[in-house]
Amino acid sequence: MTLSVSGLGAVRSGRTILHPTSLEIASGDRIGLVGASGSGKSTLGHALIDDLRAQGRGVAHVPQSPDEALDPLRSLEFHWNEAELALKAPPDADRRKRLLSALKIAGGDLGKRPWGWSRGMQQRFVIAMALIGSPELIVLDEPTSALDPVIAADTMDLLESHLNGTGTATLLITHDLGLAARRVSRLMVMDEGRVVEAASTQDLLECPRTGAAKSLCAHRSWLAVPC
Amino acid sequence: MLRVESVSVRRGRTMTLEDVSLSLEPGRTLAVVGESGAGKSTLIAAVLGFLRPWRGEISWAGAPVRDCAPSLVMQEPRAAFNPTLTLRRSVMEPVAARRPPPLDRMERLCRGLELTHDLLDRRPLEVSIGQAQRLGLLRALIAAPPLVLFDEPLSALDAFTQKRTARLIADLQAEEGFAALIVTHDLGYACAYADDIAVLRSGRIEELTRPKDFIASPRTAYGRKLRDAAVALGAFERAA
Repeated sequence: MTLSVSGLGAVRSGRTILHPTSLEIASGDRIGLVGASGSGKSTLGHALIDDLRAQGRGVAHVPQSPDEALDPLRSLEFHWNEAELALKAPPDADRRKRLLSALKIAGGDLGKRPWGWSRGMQQRFVIAMALIGSPELIVLDEPTSALDPVIAADTMDLLESHLNGTGTATLLITHDLGLAARRVSRLMVMDEGRVVEAASTQDLLECPRTGAAKSLCAHRSWLAVPC
Repeated sequence: MLRVESVSVRRGRTMTLEDVSLSLEPGRTLAVVGESGAGKSTLIAAVLGFLRPWRGEISWAGAPVRDCAPSLVMQEPRAAFNPTLTLRRSVMEPVAARRPPPLDRMERLCRGLELTHDLLDRRPLEVSIGQAQRLGLLRALIAAPPLVLFDEPLSALDAFTQKRTARLIADLQAEEGFAALIVTHDLGYACAYADDIAVLRSGRIEELTRPKDFIASPRTAYGRKLRDAAVALGAFERAA
Protein backbone atom coordinates (compact mmCIF):
# COMPACT_ATOMS: atom_id res chain seq x y z
CA MET A 1 0.00 0.00 0.00
CA THR A 2 1.32 3.45 -0.92
CA LEU A 3 2.79 5.64 1.79
CA SER A 4 1.84 9.24 1.42
CA VAL A 5 2.74 12.48 3.20
CA SER A 6 1.93 16.06 2.31
CA GLY A 7 3.06 19.49 3.45
CA LEU A 8 6.01 18.32 5.53
CA GLY A 9 8.04 21.30 6.69
CA ALA A 10 10.55 22.30 9.35
CA VAL A 11 11.76 25.58 10.85
CA ARG A 12 14.82 25.97 13.07
CA SER A 13 15.70 29.23 14.85
CA GLY A 14 13.27 31.09 12.62
CA ARG A 15 14.86 29.72 9.44
CA THR A 16 12.95 27.37 7.16
CA ILE A 17 15.13 24.30 6.76
CA LEU A 18 12.47 22.21 5.01
CA HIS A 19 9.94 23.83 2.68
CA PRO A 20 6.51 22.16 2.32
CA THR A 21 7.16 18.78 0.76
CA SER A 22 4.81 16.01 -0.33
CA LEU A 23 5.85 12.47 -1.17
CA GLU A 24 4.39 9.17 -2.24
CA ILE A 25 6.27 5.91 -1.78
CA ALA A 26 4.88 2.69 -3.27
CA SER A 27 5.38 -0.76 -1.84
CA GLY A 28 8.86 -2.08 -2.68
CA ASP A 29 10.13 1.28 -4.03
CA ARG A 30 13.87 1.91 -3.98
CA ILE A 31 14.31 5.66 -3.68
CA GLY A 32 17.43 7.74 -3.24
CA LEU A 33 17.34 11.16 -1.56
CA VAL A 34 20.53 12.93 -2.59
CA GLY A 35 22.00 16.39 -2.03
CA ALA A 36 24.97 18.24 -0.59
CA SER A 37 25.61 18.57 3.17
CA GLY A 38 23.03 20.89 4.72
CA SER A 39 20.54 20.56 1.87
CA GLY A 40 17.86 19.17 4.22
CA LYS A 41 18.00 15.44 3.41
CA SER A 42 18.11 14.19 6.99
CA THR A 43 15.51 16.75 8.08
CA LEU A 44 13.13 15.45 5.43
CA GLY A 45 13.94 11.87 6.50
CA HIS A 46 13.09 12.63 10.14
CA ALA A 47 9.93 14.55 9.24
CA LEU A 48 8.82 11.69 6.99
CA ILE A 49 9.41 9.09 9.74
CA ASP A 50 7.48 11.16 12.32
CA ASP A 51 4.54 11.79 10.00
CA LEU A 52 4.23 8.17 8.83
CA ARG A 53 4.48 6.84 12.38
CA ALA A 54 1.76 9.30 13.41
CA GLN A 55 -0.35 7.73 10.64
CA GLY A 56 0.30 4.32 12.23
CA ARG A 57 2.55 3.12 9.39
CA GLY A 58 5.54 0.86 10.02
CA VAL A 59 8.74 2.80 9.42
CA ALA A 60 12.26 1.87 10.54
CA HIS A 61 15.28 4.16 10.68
CA VAL A 62 18.91 3.19 10.24
CA PRO A 63 21.15 6.12 11.21
CA GLN A 64 24.57 6.93 9.79
CA SER A 65 26.51 5.53 12.71
CA PRO A 66 25.63 2.59 14.97
CA ASP A 67 26.72 4.84 17.86
CA GLU A 68 23.48 6.78 17.35
CA ALA A 69 21.36 3.64 17.70
CA LEU A 70 23.13 1.60 20.37
CA ASP A 71 23.68 2.30 24.07
CA PRO A 72 27.32 1.44 24.88
CA LEU A 73 26.37 0.32 28.40
CA ARG A 74 23.73 -2.23 27.32
CA SER A 75 24.21 -5.64 25.76
CA LEU A 76 23.12 -6.28 22.19
CA GLU A 77 20.59 -8.78 23.53
CA PHE A 78 19.03 -5.97 25.60
CA HIS A 79 18.73 -3.81 22.48
CA TRP A 80 17.04 -6.62 20.58
CA ASN A 81 14.54 -7.26 23.38
CA GLU A 82 13.79 -3.54 23.69
CA ALA A 83 13.21 -3.29 19.93
CA GLU A 84 10.74 -6.21 20.08
CA LEU A 85 8.94 -4.57 22.99
CA ALA A 86 8.78 -1.18 21.26
CA LEU A 87 7.43 -2.79 18.08
CA LYS A 88 4.99 -4.94 20.10
CA ALA A 89 6.50 -7.97 18.37
CA PRO A 90 6.32 -11.07 20.57
CA PRO A 91 9.78 -12.54 21.25
CA ASP A 92 10.60 -14.96 18.48
CA ALA A 93 13.92 -16.81 18.52
CA ASP A 94 13.45 -18.07 14.95
CA ARG A 95 12.91 -14.57 13.60
CA ARG A 96 16.00 -13.35 15.44
CA LYS A 97 18.08 -16.18 14.03
CA ARG A 98 16.72 -15.59 10.52
CA LEU A 99 17.42 -11.85 10.54
CA LEU A 100 20.88 -12.14 12.09
CA SER A 101 21.72 -14.89 9.57
CA ALA A 102 20.45 -12.71 6.70
CA LEU A 103 22.93 -10.01 7.74
CA LYS A 104 25.64 -12.66 8.38
CA ILE A 105 26.09 -11.84 12.07
CA ALA A 106 24.41 -14.94 13.55
CA GLY A 107 27.78 -15.99 15.00
CA GLY A 108 28.12 -12.81 17.11
CA ASP A 109 27.81 -12.94 20.91
CA LEU A 110 24.68 -10.95 21.83
CA GLY A 111 25.78 -10.88 25.47
CA LYS A 112 28.48 -8.35 24.54
CA ARG A 113 28.17 -4.57 24.61
CA PRO A 114 28.12 -2.90 21.16
CA TRP A 115 31.81 -2.02 21.34
CA GLY A 116 32.62 -5.73 21.68
CA TRP A 117 31.63 -6.03 18.01
CA SER A 118 33.27 -4.38 14.99
CA ARG A 119 31.52 -1.31 13.57
CA GLY A 120 30.47 -3.25 10.50
CA MET A 121 28.81 -5.89 12.68
CA GLN A 122 27.17 -3.20 14.82
CA GLN A 123 25.68 -1.50 11.75
CA ARG A 124 24.40 -4.86 10.47
CA PHE A 125 22.86 -5.46 13.89
CA VAL A 126 21.08 -2.09 13.68
CA ILE A 127 19.78 -3.01 10.22
CA ALA A 128 18.61 -6.42 11.52
CA MET A 129 16.74 -4.65 14.36
CA ALA A 130 15.13 -2.36 11.80
CA LEU A 131 13.73 -5.44 10.06
CA ILE A 132 12.07 -6.93 13.17
CA GLY A 133 8.64 -5.47 12.52
CA SER A 134 8.71 -6.12 8.73
CA PRO A 135 8.35 -2.35 8.18
CA GLU A 136 6.67 -0.83 5.14
CA LEU A 137 9.59 1.57 4.76
CA ILE A 138 13.21 1.64 5.94
CA VAL A 139 14.90 5.04 5.95
CA LEU A 140 18.65 4.51 5.59
CA ASP A 141 20.51 7.72 6.44
CA GLU A 142 24.05 7.45 5.05
CA PRO A 143 24.05 3.82 6.23
CA THR A 144 27.51 2.91 4.98
CA SER A 145 29.57 6.06 5.35
CA ALA A 146 31.02 4.94 8.71
CA LEU A 147 32.05 1.55 7.30
CA ASP A 148 35.00 0.21 5.34
CA PRO A 149 34.12 -0.05 1.64
CA VAL A 150 34.23 -3.86 1.48
CA ILE A 151 31.94 -4.17 4.51
CA ALA A 152 29.73 -1.33 3.25
CA ALA A 153 29.19 -3.01 -0.13
CA ASP A 154 28.50 -6.40 1.52
CA THR A 155 26.02 -4.84 3.96
CA MET A 156 24.04 -3.14 1.20
CA ASP A 157 24.00 -6.35 -0.85
CA LEU A 158 22.77 -8.41 2.12
CA LEU A 159 20.01 -5.93 2.93
CA GLU A 160 18.87 -5.77 -0.68
CA SER A 161 18.76 -9.52 -1.11
CA HIS A 162 16.79 -9.86 2.14
CA LEU A 163 14.26 -7.22 1.08
CA ASN A 164 13.73 -8.49 -2.46
CA GLY A 165 10.11 -9.50 -2.86
CA THR A 166 9.09 -8.44 0.66
CA GLY A 167 7.29 -5.23 -0.33
CA THR A 168 9.37 -3.16 2.11
CA ALA A 169 10.35 0.13 0.46
CA THR A 170 13.69 1.83 1.12
CA LEU A 171 14.66 5.48 1.18
CA LEU A 172 18.43 5.83 0.89
CA ILE A 173 19.61 9.24 2.10
CA THR A 174 23.10 10.03 0.84
CA HIS A 175 25.36 12.82 -0.37
CA ASP A 176 26.86 10.34 -2.80
CA LEU A 177 24.99 10.13 -6.08
CA GLY A 178 27.46 7.49 -7.29
CA LEU A 179 26.33 5.17 -4.46
CA ALA A 180 22.63 5.95 -4.89
CA ALA A 181 22.79 5.47 -8.66
CA ARG A 182 23.92 1.88 -8.14
CA ARG A 183 21.24 1.10 -5.58
CA VAL A 184 17.93 2.80 -6.34
CA SER A 185 15.49 3.10 -9.23
CA ARG A 186 14.21 6.61 -8.46
CA LEU A 187 16.10 9.70 -7.28
CA MET A 188 15.04 12.87 -5.52
CA VAL A 189 17.50 15.78 -5.37
CA MET A 190 17.42 18.20 -2.45
CA ASP A 191 18.80 21.70 -2.36
CA GLU A 192 18.28 24.38 0.29
CA GLY A 193 15.43 22.55 1.99
CA ARG A 194 13.48 21.69 -1.17
CA VAL A 195 13.12 18.63 -3.37
CA VAL A 196 14.16 20.37 -6.58
CA GLU A 197 14.09 17.40 -8.92
CA ALA A 198 12.68 13.86 -8.94
CA ALA A 199 13.08 11.35 -11.74
CA SER A 200 14.01 7.77 -12.51
CA THR A 201 17.69 7.12 -11.83
CA GLN A 202 18.46 6.70 -15.51
CA ASP A 203 16.66 9.89 -16.57
CA LEU A 204 18.28 11.97 -13.86
CA LEU A 205 21.78 10.72 -14.68
CA GLU A 206 21.28 11.26 -18.40
CA CYS A 207 19.47 14.56 -18.26
CA PRO A 208 19.69 16.48 -14.98
CA ARG A 209 17.66 19.69 -15.19
CA THR A 210 18.50 21.73 -12.08
CA GLY A 211 21.83 23.17 -11.02
CA ALA A 212 21.94 20.94 -7.92
CA ALA A 213 21.32 17.78 -9.95
CA LYS A 214 23.83 18.82 -12.62
CA SER A 215 26.48 19.43 -9.96
CA LEU A 216 25.79 16.06 -8.30
CA CYS A 217 25.95 14.29 -11.66
CA ALA A 218 29.18 16.04 -12.63
CA HIS A 219 30.85 14.94 -9.38
CA ARG A 220 29.27 11.55 -8.90
CA SER A 221 32.36 9.42 -9.39
CA TRP A 222 36.12 9.77 -9.26
CA LEU A 223 37.04 8.11 -12.50
CA ALA A 224 35.48 6.57 -15.57
CA VAL A 225 36.86 3.05 -15.85
CA PRO A 226 35.77 -0.18 -17.52
CA CYS A 227 33.68 -1.71 -14.73
CA MET B 1 62.73 11.71 -0.25
CA LEU B 2 60.81 9.66 2.29
CA ARG B 3 62.19 6.19 2.87
CA VAL B 4 60.43 3.58 4.97
CA GLU B 5 62.70 0.55 5.06
CA SER B 6 61.59 -2.83 6.43
CA VAL B 7 59.68 -1.16 9.26
CA SER B 8 57.88 -3.20 11.91
CA VAL B 9 55.94 -1.62 14.76
CA ARG B 10 54.81 -3.53 17.82
CA ARG B 11 52.07 -2.58 20.22
CA GLY B 12 52.26 -4.91 23.18
CA ARG B 13 52.45 -8.37 21.70
CA THR B 14 50.72 -7.37 18.47
CA MET B 15 52.68 -6.48 15.37
CA THR B 16 50.75 -3.53 13.90
CA LEU B 17 53.16 -3.00 11.00
CA GLU B 18 55.34 -5.74 9.64
CA ASP B 19 58.24 -5.34 7.26
CA VAL B 20 56.80 -2.30 5.49
CA SER B 21 58.95 -0.65 2.83
CA LEU B 22 57.93 2.44 0.87
CA SER B 23 59.51 5.43 -0.79
CA LEU B 24 58.08 8.76 -1.83
CA GLU B 25 59.71 11.48 -3.92
CA PRO B 26 58.98 15.22 -3.63
CA GLY B 27 55.97 16.22 -5.74
CA ARG B 28 54.62 12.66 -5.80
CA THR B 29 51.58 11.16 -4.10
CA LEU B 30 51.39 7.75 -2.47
CA ALA B 31 47.99 6.52 -1.31
CA VAL B 32 47.80 3.81 1.34
CA VAL B 33 44.48 1.99 1.27
CA GLY B 34 43.11 -0.78 3.47
CA GLU B 35 40.46 -1.72 5.99
CA SER B 36 40.17 -0.40 9.56
CA GLY B 37 42.87 -1.91 11.72
CA ALA B 38 45.14 -2.59 8.73
CA GLY B 39 47.81 -0.30 10.19
CA LYS B 40 47.22 2.85 8.10
CA SER B 41 47.16 5.29 11.02
CA THR B 42 50.04 3.41 12.67
CA LEU B 43 52.08 4.05 9.54
CA ILE B 44 51.36 7.80 9.78
CA ALA B 45 52.26 7.81 13.48
CA ALA B 46 55.51 5.97 12.75
CA VAL B 47 56.47 8.32 9.90
CA LEU B 48 55.81 11.34 12.13
CA GLY B 49 57.95 9.79 14.85
CA PHE B 50 55.09 9.34 17.34
CA LEU B 51 55.77 5.60 17.36
CA ARG B 52 59.26 4.15 17.35
CA PRO B 53 59.70 1.24 14.92
CA TRP B 54 60.65 -2.02 16.52
CA ARG B 55 62.70 -2.79 13.44
CA GLY B 56 63.65 -0.84 10.33
CA GLU B 57 64.35 2.79 9.49
CA ILE B 58 62.26 5.79 8.48
CA SER B 59 64.02 8.84 7.05
CA TRP B 60 63.59 11.95 4.93
CA ALA B 61 66.62 12.82 2.78
CA GLY B 62 68.75 10.62 5.02
CA ALA B 63 67.79 12.40 8.24
CA PRO B 64 65.02 11.77 10.80
CA VAL B 65 61.64 12.73 9.32
CA ARG B 66 60.89 15.23 12.09
CA ASP B 67 63.88 17.34 10.93
CA CYS B 68 61.91 18.29 7.79
CA ALA B 69 58.94 19.44 9.95
CA PRO B 70 56.26 17.43 8.13
CA SER B 71 52.60 18.42 8.39
CA LEU B 72 49.57 16.30 9.18
CA VAL B 73 46.05 16.90 7.86
CA MET B 74 43.69 15.22 10.27
CA GLN B 75 40.55 13.26 9.55
CA GLU B 76 37.96 15.29 11.46
CA PRO B 77 38.49 18.86 10.31
CA ARG B 78 36.72 20.79 13.05
CA ALA B 79 38.09 18.62 15.88
CA ALA B 80 41.60 19.29 14.56
CA PHE B 81 41.41 22.90 15.79
CA ASN B 82 41.37 24.28 19.31
CA PRO B 83 37.71 25.32 19.71
CA THR B 84 38.58 28.31 21.93
CA LEU B 85 41.03 29.98 19.50
CA THR B 86 40.27 31.91 16.34
CA LEU B 87 41.14 29.99 13.22
CA ARG B 88 43.68 32.68 12.31
CA ARG B 89 45.63 31.92 15.47
CA SER B 90 45.47 28.16 14.93
CA VAL B 91 46.41 28.43 11.27
CA MET B 92 49.43 30.66 12.02
CA GLU B 93 50.67 28.44 14.86
CA PRO B 94 53.26 26.57 12.74
CA VAL B 95 54.87 29.92 11.80
CA ALA B 96 54.27 31.75 15.10
CA ALA B 97 58.02 32.17 15.69
CA ARG B 98 58.74 33.66 12.26
CA ARG B 99 59.36 37.39 12.04
CA PRO B 100 57.87 38.85 10.00
CA PRO B 101 55.01 36.36 9.67
CA PRO B 102 54.65 35.00 6.11
CA LEU B 103 51.55 37.02 5.29
CA ASP B 104 52.13 37.00 1.52
CA ARG B 105 52.26 33.24 1.56
CA MET B 106 49.10 33.05 3.60
CA GLU B 107 47.39 35.37 1.15
CA ARG B 108 48.42 33.18 -1.79
CA LEU B 109 47.36 29.95 -0.09
CA CYS B 110 44.01 31.48 0.89
CA ARG B 111 43.39 32.34 -2.74
CA GLY B 112 44.35 28.82 -3.83
CA LEU B 113 42.10 27.25 -1.20
CA GLU B 114 39.23 29.64 -1.89
CA LEU B 115 39.24 30.93 1.71
CA THR B 116 38.16 34.46 2.61
CA HIS B 117 39.68 36.47 5.45
CA ASP B 118 36.49 36.76 7.47
CA LEU B 119 36.60 32.97 8.00
CA LEU B 120 39.94 33.31 9.79
CA ASP B 121 38.40 35.46 12.49
CA ARG B 122 35.84 32.78 13.36
CA ARG B 123 36.15 29.78 15.66
CA PRO B 124 36.09 26.16 14.40
CA LEU B 125 32.40 25.57 15.12
CA GLU B 126 31.44 28.72 13.21
CA VAL B 127 32.58 27.41 9.81
CA SER B 128 31.25 24.60 7.62
CA ILE B 129 33.02 21.27 7.62
CA GLY B 130 34.30 21.84 4.08
CA GLN B 131 35.69 25.24 5.09
CA ALA B 132 37.29 23.67 8.18
CA GLN B 133 38.97 21.06 5.98
CA ARG B 134 40.41 23.77 3.72
CA LEU B 135 41.57 25.72 6.79
CA GLY B 136 43.27 22.51 7.96
CA LEU B 137 45.09 22.38 4.63
CA LEU B 138 46.10 26.04 5.05
CA ARG B 139 47.56 25.27 8.47
CA ALA B 140 49.35 22.20 7.11
CA LEU B 141 50.93 24.15 4.26
CA ILE B 142 51.64 27.56 5.80
CA ALA B 143 55.19 26.58 6.82
CA ALA B 144 55.94 25.14 3.34
CA PRO B 145 56.64 21.59 4.52
CA PRO B 146 58.29 19.23 2.02
CA LEU B 147 56.17 16.32 3.27
CA VAL B 148 52.43 16.35 4.07
CA LEU B 149 50.60 13.39 5.57
CA PHE B 150 46.86 13.17 5.03
CA ASP B 151 44.82 10.92 7.33
CA GLU B 152 41.46 10.28 5.59
CA PRO B 153 41.39 13.93 4.44
CA LEU B 154 38.02 13.76 2.69
CA SER B 155 36.00 11.35 4.81
CA ALA B 156 34.00 14.04 6.64
CA LEU B 157 33.01 15.84 3.40
CA ASP B 158 30.11 15.35 1.02
CA ALA B 159 30.75 13.90 -2.43
CA PHE B 160 30.86 17.26 -4.23
CA THR B 161 33.11 18.90 -1.60
CA GLN B 162 35.38 15.84 -1.64
CA LYS B 163 36.06 16.21 -5.33
CA ARG B 164 36.55 19.96 -5.10
CA THR B 165 38.94 19.63 -2.14
CA ALA B 166 40.90 16.83 -3.83
CA ARG B 167 41.37 19.10 -6.86
CA LEU B 168 42.58 21.97 -4.64
CA ILE B 169 45.09 19.67 -2.90
CA ALA B 170 46.41 18.45 -6.25
CA ASP B 171 46.69 22.01 -7.62
CA LEU B 172 48.58 23.17 -4.53
CA GLN B 173 50.86 20.16 -4.71
CA ALA B 174 51.68 20.91 -8.35
CA GLU B 175 52.57 24.47 -7.32
CA GLU B 176 54.39 23.72 -4.05
CA GLY B 177 55.99 20.37 -4.86
CA PHE B 178 55.43 18.70 -1.51
CA ALA B 179 55.37 14.91 -1.20
CA ALA B 180 51.93 13.64 -0.16
CA LEU B 181 51.30 10.44 1.78
CA ILE B 182 47.55 9.89 1.82
CA VAL B 183 45.89 7.29 4.00
CA THR B 184 42.35 6.63 2.84
CA HIS B 185 39.71 3.96 2.55
CA ASP B 186 38.40 5.64 -0.59
CA LEU B 187 39.84 3.75 -3.51
CA GLY B 188 38.19 6.13 -5.98
CA TYR B 189 40.07 9.11 -4.57
CA ALA B 190 43.30 7.12 -4.36
CA CYS B 191 43.06 5.97 -7.97
CA ALA B 192 42.12 9.43 -9.26
CA TYR B 193 44.99 11.33 -7.60
CA ALA B 194 47.82 9.06 -6.43
CA ASP B 195 50.91 8.16 -8.44
CA ASP B 196 51.16 4.86 -6.56
CA ILE B 197 48.83 2.81 -4.40
CA ALA B 198 49.86 0.59 -1.49
CA VAL B 199 47.33 -1.90 -0.19
CA LEU B 200 47.94 -2.45 3.51
CA ARG B 201 46.41 -5.46 5.23
CA SER B 202 47.09 -6.79 8.72
CA GLY B 203 50.15 -4.54 8.94
CA ARG B 204 51.72 -5.77 5.70
CA ILE B 205 51.86 -4.25 2.25
CA GLU B 206 50.10 -6.72 -0.03
CA GLU B 207 50.40 -4.71 -3.24
CA LEU B 208 52.27 -1.61 -4.34
CA THR B 209 51.29 -0.57 -7.82
CA ARG B 210 50.10 2.14 -10.22
CA PRO B 211 46.38 3.03 -9.94
CA LYS B 212 45.65 2.05 -13.53
CA ASP B 213 47.16 -1.39 -13.05
CA PHE B 214 45.37 -1.84 -9.73
CA ILE B 215 41.94 -1.08 -11.23
CA ALA B 216 42.60 -3.32 -14.23
CA SER B 217 43.90 -6.31 -12.31
CA PRO B 218 44.50 -6.31 -8.58
CA ARG B 219 47.05 -8.98 -7.74
CA THR B 220 45.59 -10.21 -4.45
CA ALA B 221 42.18 -11.50 -3.40
CA TYR B 222 41.79 -8.60 -0.95
CA GLY B 223 42.79 -6.11 -3.66
CA ARG B 224 40.02 -7.51 -5.89
CA LYS B 225 37.52 -7.20 -3.03
CA LEU B 226 38.52 -3.57 -2.51
CA ARG B 227 38.23 -2.80 -6.22
CA ASP B 228 34.85 -4.56 -6.52
CA ALA B 229 33.51 -2.78 -3.41
CA ALA B 230 34.54 0.60 -4.83
CA VAL B 231 32.67 -0.27 -8.05
CA ALA B 232 29.60 -1.43 -6.09
CA LEU B 233 29.60 1.80 -4.07
CA GLY B 234 29.76 3.95 -7.20
CA ALA B 235 33.31 5.32 -6.82
CA PHE B 236 33.92 4.64 -10.50
CA GLU B 237 31.76 5.42 -13.47
CA ARG B 238 31.44 2.96 -16.32
CA ALA B 239 33.63 4.16 -19.18
CA ALA B 240 31.72 4.66 -22.39
